[in-house]
Amino acid sequence: MKVKFLTVLTIAIALFISACGKSDADLTKAVNDKLAADKVTGVTVAVKDGVATLTGEVADQAVKAKAETSAKAVEGIKSVTNSLTLKPLPAATPSAPDPALTGKINESLKKAGCTTATVTVTNGKVTVSGEVPAAKYAECVQAVMQSGITGIDNQLKKGK
Amino acid sequence: MSAQEKYQSLLELANQNGTTYELTEGDNGTLVITGTAPSAEAKQALWDEYDRLDPDYKSGDLILNITTGDAAGGGANTYTVESGDSLSKIGGKYGIAWKAIWDANRDILHDPDKIYPGQELKIPI
Repeated sequence: MKVKFLTVLTIAIALFISACGKSDADLTKAVNDKLAADKVTGVTVAVKDGVATLTGEVADQAVKAKAETSAKAVEGIKSVTNSLTLKPLPAATPSAPDPALTGKINESLKKAGCTTATVTVTNGKVTVSGEVPAAKYAECVQAVMQSGITGIDNQLKKGK
Repeated sequence: MSAQEKYQSLLELANQNGTTYELTEGDNGTLVITGTAPSAEAKQALWDEYDRLDPDYKSGDLILNITTGDAAGGGANTYTVESGDSLSKIGGKYGIAWKAIWDANRDILHDPDKIYPGQELKIPI
């Protein structure tokens, strides 16, 4: 009697454990749900033996990393192969032709109190040089970058 | 490593702190982030992260162009008149005609020969 009971119990436990292991189809759905909940779009999920492979094209690197983190967070996913690609970026366009951009940057620098910085602009790319007080340095770089430029050669020096 | 990989944590920070942004590609693969931060603190946090990833912003692989939503007035497209300025002289600084500035500022100017130090002129560029 006792032996029979143990056998039944063993079988019951064995059945219980096997029922707990999620199938790849269940995991695929779980990952898709998690991605949707985390507002990650454009990702195709394939799960094989608990390994999730992510493919598709996403907006940027932050989304790519987030998709991987989300997939890893799903219970039962052993590892994630991140094969997502990034959407090619459109070309940046300067906010104004070079002479106007030069004037704009100079005015921004003047307002930021960076009159000792000098700029030259070629096809939207800016070379900034000269020396500004160290305490002003970050503000001066910001003034240049916020003028709608498409490239920078930062030669600006920190002075006293 | 691509610029996006290098600045991944900066992009993540922007997503977390409510900064909306667009990415474009500038000169030689330069990553250009153009966006609007919800506050001056949020914007500063992004610049701090930029400085951490690229000390003194020297690499030239990222243009961070973040404005705060409340940046009304004093924008880059205005010019503050200085002593000795004329419309044609100001136009020369931007490579545009004096008349373009005159037309853009008819609401505050009454005579193209009369401008005063301290006046904020809109620059139509």
